[in-house]
Amino acid sequence: MAAATRTAPRAREIFTTLEYGPAPESHACALAWLDTQDRHLGHYVNGKWLKPEHRNSVPCQDPITGENLASCLQAQAEDVAAAVEAARTALENWSTLPGARRAQHLTRLAKMIQKHQRLLWTLESLVTGRAVREVRDRDVPLAQQLLQYHAVQAHTQEEALAGWEPMGVIGLIVPPTFSFLEMMWRICPALAVGCTVVVLVPPASPAPLLLAQLAGELGSFPGILNVISGPTSLGPVLASQPGVQKVAFCGAVEEGRALRRTLAGQGLELSLALGAESLLLLTEAADVDSAVEGVVDATWSDRSQGGLRLLIQESVWDETMTRLQARMGRLRVGRGLDGAVDMGARGAAARDLAQRYVREAQSQGAQVFQAGDVPSDSPFYPPTLISDLPPASPCAQTEVPWPLVVASPFRTAKEALAVANGTPRGGSASVWSERLGQALELGYGLRMGIVWINAHGLRDPAVPTGGCKESGSSWHGGPDGLYEYLQPSGTPARQPSLSENLNYDTFGLAVPSTLPAGPETGPSPAPPYGLFVGGRFQAPGARSSRPIQDSHGNLHGYVAEGGAKDIRGAVEAAHQAAPGWVGQSPGARAALLGALAAALERRESALAARLERHGVELKVAKAEVELSVRRLRAWGARAQAQGHTLQVAELRGPVLRLREPLGVLAIVCPDEWPLLAFVSLLAPALAHGNTVVLVPSGTCPIPALEVCQDVATLLPAGLVNVVTGDRDHLTRCMALHQDVQALWYFGSVQGSQFVEWASAGNLKPVWVNRGLPRAWDQDAEGAGPELGLRAAQTKALWLPMGD
Amino acid sequence: MAAHNLGTELDLSWISKVQVNHPAVLRRAQQVQARRTVKKEWQAAWLLKAVTFIDLTTLSGDDTSSNVQRLCYKAKYPIREDLLKALNMHDKDITTAAVCVYPARVCDAVRALKAAGCNIPVASVATGFPAGQTHLKTRLEEIRLAVEDGASEIDVVINRSLVLTGQWEGSDFIKTSTGKETVNATFPVAIVMLRAIRDFFWKTGNKIGFKPAGGIRSAKDALAWLSLIKEELGDEWLKPELFRIGASTLLSDIERQIYHHVTGRYAAYHDLPMS
Repeated sequence: MAAATRTAPRAREIFTTLEYGPAPESHACALAWLDTQDRHLGHYVNGKWLKPEHRNSVPCQDPITGENLASCLQAQAEDVAAAVEAARTALENWSTLPGARRAQHLTRLAKMIQKHQRLLWTLESLVTGRAVREVRDRDVPLAQQLLQYHAVQAHTQEEALAGWEPMGVIGLIVPPTFSFLEMMWRICPALAVGCTVVVLVPPASPAPLLLAQLAGELGSFPGILNVISGPTSLGPVLASQPGVQKVAFCGAVEEGRALRRTLAGQGLELSLALGAESLLLLTEAADVDSAVEGVVDATWSDRSQGGLRLLIQESVWDETMTRLQARMGRLRVGRGLDGAVDMGARGAAARDLAQRYVREAQSQGAQVFQAGDVPSDSPFYPPTLISDLPPASPCAQTEVPWPLVVASPFRTAKEALAVANGTPRGGSASVWSERLGQALELGYGLRMGIVWINAHGLRDPAVPTGGCKESGSSWHGGPDGLYEYLQPSGTPARQPSLSENLNYDTFGLAVPSTLPAGPETGPSPAPPYGLFVGGRFQAPGARSSRPIQDSHGNLHGYVAEGGAKDIRGAVEAAHQAAPGWVGQSPGARAALLGALAAALERRESALAARLERHGVELKVAKAEVELSVRRLRAWGARAQAQGHTLQVAELRGPVLRLREPLGVLAIVCPDEWPLLAFVSLLAPALAHGNTVVLVPSGTCPIPALEVCQDVATLLPAGLVNVVTGDRDHLTRCMALHQDVQALWYFGSVQGSQFVEWASAGNLKPVWVNRGLPRAWDQDAEGAGPELGLRAAQTKALWLPMGD
Repeated sequence: MAAHNLGTELDLSWISKVQVNHPAVLRRAQQVQARRTVKKEWQAAWLLKAVTFIDLTTLSGDDTSSNVQRLCYKAKYPIREDLLKALNMHDKDITTAAVCVYPARVCDAVRALKAAGCNIPVASVATGFPAGQTHLKTRLEEIRLAVEDGASEIDVVINRSLVLTGQWEGSDFIKTSTGKETVNATFPVAIVMLRAIRDFFWKTGNKIGFKPAGGIRSAKDALAWLSLIKEELGDEWLKPELFRIGASTLLSDIERQIYHHVTGRYAAYHDLPMS
């Protein structure tokens, strides 16, 4: 620590220089707490400290002085098993309690934190090196607010979340650079709705252990929160424990991708929150000084974990750079426990990462500006501004690390959107413009989970926080955070359905060739032959067909044998149709769905006859058509009530919770209920503004093709594309397609596993049935809120107001 | 005051281009107070520095020569001599930046300061203070008379009707408010003014001074204001020529804090001389 090695200047000298001095926060209580554990930390499981013998331990060090503060045990598989066992036992009681009881418990924990807040903030700042001001003034109060907000949610759970039940035991994996707050964001909703949690924290992170201890010392329900420390490589071990229903992971993108692949087919839900880069878009109509403060908030105030991509309109480039550099000169970097620093240290790994990025950027021709009052000792890294980085250079493609800001210019708002959306990341962004129309245009246009208008980094328990694209589509906070840990009531427990010998390289790769299969005996007129792509029926690229048999084994007809190129064409057509469809009002969409419903009604007898040939009793077939018609109308009406406004404490102005389309949604329909399942999946997807590529039932695709005849005349071209063919092959093509934004798969166990594995490519959200049948004729499963939830993504748009 | 604004051609496009985002400024105002703190010797030195920025003010209807005289002595000896000695600051000639009175009391102040043997400037509020709603002719005459009486600085209340209708006036120093309003010096307003001062400096090279007035009562407030100037404008503005704090009760709280720093005890009311 630089300030300590200086000889303290006398008041006389300070009177002249008027410099800042050290303002150390005492961390005696943190050390005293470590002493209560004899400077030897284990895990906190089932309301007790767990310190098994014969384990490796890692030192927990002060990141600035390198002083050893404690040694921390590294968990092994059996410790993980013990923690999951505790969580499972606790679940039986916790999940069946009335919400009001859980609310009471969370409120007690909030009070417990309030009583020990100094210990919490000094310990966190001491160990992580983050500025104590940020931990004390923001993280700790927010942790309490989170508990209070979720206590309220638990209280109203029976009423507000009827039809949903807690998932079960949740495994939470957090990265080395995280703050304890990230854990709070996730455990609060999980506990509130009745789940119990096992958190795997990186070695040497005492603050989560302290939190678990505080929760444990409340006495009742000891096993609901268990914290074990160990390397991220224990993640799959945690996931494979029987009873764990869901794994929530936050960390680096590549780690998330790897985990997605590892957990494919394990039958559990995986939610990912990846990367930490943010974006700031500064227009010429901005209050530039305030926007510069936004940059400070985003990167140089120990608030976020990542770096910042800064887009500046060309006309204010010089002015902004001058102000930014002047502001950087006043930043103070130092020991986190100093009350007057902006930025602390983050340890050697973070510093090296920043250093590598800067060197590489320089070698690719970038300008680097560093400033601020930074001690010369090694753990610190100065605030850094990078400009003139060629857009095509490798550095410009990779995620910007803390504490770096990479600035680049843009000319028009349209170009800004193209640049901002031209990355695989979709976390958070802010827009700075005093022109209301422009600000909203940009705010709506950014493909990000959170957008702040004229602010950066605001958080509130009531506002969902999450992302899209490769930032992972998991949410915490607000209603979306609750649904992360809920499942529709009656969902069967996790079935391990892993096929160890599923070969991902060859699954669905080859299409078995088909030959003529006898005389066609279908009722006339036969549906037009071909794939329905871009609004019309087209011959398949492979120019071959597959026979479809009826329930007696007779040839019903031929459908086109679609392949990779047809999927490519269909996805392209869907992308072209997307802007027009998104731009339609929900009312207009509902009207079109209504028209399609009416057309289906007119076609009832033909459709029923088709179904009958596949062994469905005529009465049942008619009922299936009728129900399909109802589904179309129902979703049209539901989509009109989308999104809502949230009210946030201490913020003047609203936060909009928008429900936006996912984009191009690929759907593999189940074999059963060939018409009803097709319509039940199509309707919510369209109603929420998506464009779709569907693979209809494999055994009975003809009713779906018949519906396409009406789609062709009623709906815009490209909105709905239906590709028939070998299901495994088509699934493979769509799951591996990088420009398909989401995939729903209803088919085999192996297909589900493949889809989960392949989705790691662009981290598209997937919904798979793991080979389990679904009651499409029941409203709960065939038209329940789960479909609506999955058919759109949330975006939080912050709109602070003031004159 | 040394600085003089030589003025520039009035270019209203500067003003029309200014963008101020109110909620963002409010957030900055909160942060700037929370992100900096000075302790121990740094705090003592900063507080003594703050003393040298104070326009020690009495603006009461019942001001007479006796309380103006007392004020002037306090301006000359703002901190108890023994406390300054303990800090080794007794030879630094620490006085307040100026004494600020009504025009009719300028004579009293000049006389009292002369008697005390010091050259602390006397500032006079003028021009129909605090409303400024009097005729231009009498306002100019008021300034002339105050200067004749020995005032070397004039706190002019501008005619705000002109501002609200877009007819701007120039100055060497800008002040948040008269100190007589219901809301006086606030951080958000100050931030906007300081940024305007900085922009003007970047454009013209002229340094305009800044004076928050009203409501600054505690030593803690004073430190926050110093820190705000340091953060938004930089150290070169931290001198009496460019920064003043208009206050009447602030000084006694600063002295109280210095007393505590030196002795480790909290002072009784009678331990410190009144102003």
